[in-house]
Amino acid sequence: MADENDNERMDDNQKSDKMFTLKKWNAVAMWSWDVECDTCAICRVQVMDACLRCQAESKKDSYGKQDCVVVWGECNHSFHYCCMSLWVKQNNRCPLCQQEWSIQRMGK
Amino acid sequence: MLKEKGQLKFEDKWTYMRPIVLKLLKQEPVSPAEWQELFYDVHLVCLWDEKGPVKLRDHLHEDIVQFIKQAQNRVLAQRQEEALLKAYIAEWRKFFTQCNYLPTPFRQLESSLQGKTTSASSSMQSNNNSKKGPIDESIVRKLMLDSWNDSIFSDIKHRLQESAMKLVHAERNGEAFDSQLVIGVRESYVNLCSNTEDRLQIYRENFEAAYIQSTEMFYRMKAPEQLATNGVQAYMRYADAKLREEEARAQRYLEAGSNGVIQCCVKVLVGNPLSVLLAECAPLIKAGETERLQLMFRLLERVPEGVQPMLRELENHITQAGLADMVAAADIITQDSEKYVERLLELFRKFSKLVHDAFSDDPRFLTARDKAFKAVVNDTTVFRLELGTGRNIGGKMVAPESKCPELLANYCDMLLRRTPLSKRLTSEEIESRLRDVLLVLKYVSNKDVFMRYHKAHLTRRLILDASADSEKEEDMVEWLREVGMPADYVNKLARMFQDIKVSEDLNAQFRTSTARHDAINIKILNAGAWARGSERVTVSLPVELEDYIPEVEEFYKKKHNGRKLQWYHHMSNGTITFATTSGKFDLDVTTFQMAVLFAWNQRPHDKITYENLRLATELPDGELRRTLWSLVAFPKLKRQLLLFNPPATAPKDFDEHTTFWVNQDFALIKNARPQRRGKVNLVGRLQLSTERSQIEDNQSIVQLRILRTQEAIIKILKMRKKISNAALQSELVDILKNMFLPSKKMIKEQLEWLIEHKYMRRDDDDINTFIYMA
Repeated sequence: MADENDNERMDDNQKSDKMFTLKKWNAVAMWSWDVECDTCAICRVQVMDACLRCQAESKKDSYGKQDCVVVWGECNHSFHYCCMSLWVKQNNRCPLCQQEWSIQRMGK
Repeated sequence: MLKEKGQLKFEDKWTYMRPIVLKLLKQEPVSPAEWQELFYDVHLVCLWDEKGPVKLRDHLHEDIVQFIKQAQNRVLAQRQEEALLKAYIAEWRKFFTQCNYLPTPFRQLESSLQGKTTSASSSMQSNNNSKKGPIDESIVRKLMLDSWNDSIFSDIKHRLQESAMKLVHAERNGEAFDSQLVIGVRESYVNLCSNTEDRLQIYRENFEAAYIQSTEMFYRMKAPEQLATNGVQAYMRYADAKLREEEARAQRYLEAGSNGVIQCCVKVLVGNPLSVLLAECAPLIKAGETERLQLMFRLLERVPEGVQPMLRELENHITQAGLADMVAAADIITQDSEKYVERLLELFRKFSKLVHDAFSDDPRFLTARDKAFKAVVNDTTVFRLELGTGRNIGGKMVAPESKCPELLANYCDMLLRRTPLSKRLTSEEIESRLRDVLLVLKYVSNKDVFMRYHKAHLTRRLILDASADSEKEEDMVEWLREVGMPADYVNKLARMFQDIKVSEDLNAQFRTSTARHDAINIKILNAGAWARGSERVTVSLPVELEDYIPEVEEFYKKKHNGRKLQWYHHMSNGTITFATTSGKFDLDVTTFQMAVLFAWNQRPHDKITYENLRLATELPDGELRRTLWSLVAFPKLKRQLLLFNPPATAPKDFDEHTTFWVNQDFALIKNARPQRRGKVNLVGRLQLSTERSQIEDNQSIVQLRILRTQEAIIKILKMRKKISNAALQSELVDILKNMFLPSKKMIKEQLEWLIEHKYMRRDDDDINTFIYMA
């Protein structure tokens, strides 16, 4: 399979007489949550890391932090979903701006 | 009948009783009738004559004393030592046997005598007692033993002891004699004692004391003589042998449970010439004379403070020998991590073997060894790691540290990456070497530096897919956890593995989503686990690559919500085909190298200036110089990919007018002949960070240490509320030891900072005590 591909490209190369041709590119990118403030105001941990609670439980087997996602409110403030779902049980307002909390979107 | 008995007087009966008593004492035969008679008469006397019991006792006493006097005369008649002892032992044995018989008929006497001094009820009790231990409690027996002690023993004990000790002395000098004689005397001392609370009292005060004294005298003479004539080493053997001999002798001649004589021997044989013996220690360690050291350890262990100096000698020797070895091999080991680690391990093995062979892995010596290993590993004379590169952080100088953790991490990388080394070794060998790394790491005080380098190497291996064995990689993470590396660090490593797997799944999905993309692999990684600061480098990608970007981003957006992507082109890499007029080569290159090389695609034969390349690639100056240098002077190539003019010896020598062109005669040289086809890897060591971020990296280590120190201080204070400076320091080192060894200076600075910021204060009465302020 790989050989076939290689041969194809070899043919391509001969047609285009460019000196350098791309054969394979291993591109690296980093993703992070698209947030304004990179610390969760509730647990004081970076939103890229799992929240304190999840870290303590150290969910090792289930792809680590994928479970601990970020949530954005209508006010555009963001927190760990775990932290916020506990928070709203006490007080249905955004901890940062005191607006009524409603979820704008969830991280995935 | 009764009346007749009523007139019964002690004096009447004694005339009948006395001959029987005397026969008993002399161990002459007594008929059963006489024996019975004696019982009956004692009974009668005690029952009918009010003063009978006392009189009976006094007369009995008199007879016993009389008998003992005769025995004494018989013993003292002997002039010669051995005969004297023999006679004494014989007399004593006879007498002692009678001590068990004679009291029996007089039991009635005993209860009457006791009844006189105590009330009726307690006499009942004492009857019970006497049933329980008739011999132990017997008054007559005590009377007999005390009489023996008072008369014969007090008079001749000195002669007895003297004679016994003369025999022991003779034995020490190698003459044979009947050891039963000494043993017999000792037994008489022990049995003689009627003090029920301390049966060994007489024995200890007389026999043992004399024994110890004569022993001490003997060796006080002999020991210096031996030392002077035969030298220290022979003397150690002599002392060791003599101590064993004396232990065996003491077992024969002394009661068990008393250690006095051995202590005395140790003092004379080892304690007195201690300094002479110790002077021998260092040369023995140096020469690795395990047997002699063993001997010395055995001897010195017996005296207090004897082992301490040995421990010091060992520690000094290992430290000095270790450092000397490192300095001697400095040229090789500073360049080659493998050689360094192997050299270090060889040292460790050598000294561990010494400790094992000479000191049977005694914990005290193991500790001394560990201390010395620490000193060697953390020493900064051979190579040092300057953490405070560039500016000093916050005006503070950072002390140089050993480069050992960096070299360890490099060695680790060589084992885990696909390298000639890892290919040469079997899986088991690699595992055992990784374990060795962990062993050395145990002694490293700046473990955080190891962690940083280890993580960087792991990042490279995962991104370049260069691991030799992915199972071993994950094992290593667990081993690091086992040896106590901080959990947050180990978890981060584990997350990188998980993340790579997630990314592989994503890549597979991406590649099936459209057929066009078989030339691209994507790794989209969690910035939290991988990235370190904002160290991205901008580059203007060749169109061939640029085209892919929006598609990948589009694909990713469909998969995920609320995420933003940042391209890490300094980490990406790939393979390109390079076609010259004469040949065709596959080149593994970094994306930066690609960006530079693709600039010639439109004008293959042009010479391009540095400045124009900078405009084409938009790479920062430092990165462009570095990338160009890797293409004009790649160490493994005989014919380089690019040629340039004017000549330069380092990347910094390029100026904006330096021109570069593609070497059309490029070829791989194999067996001195140019090859027309082939594959070459130009990636080298994948760059993870820019020069600027390297400095930041070093600073971040220092910064992290400061934070960790503050954190730990607060943690301790929160728990203790109030703590002395010394206690705080030791707890602090304990908490931080798996990351780094906090310097006194840094602790002091952080304490001041915390005090200034009102996290804590000094006690008003004692400035060396700290109090937590919530």
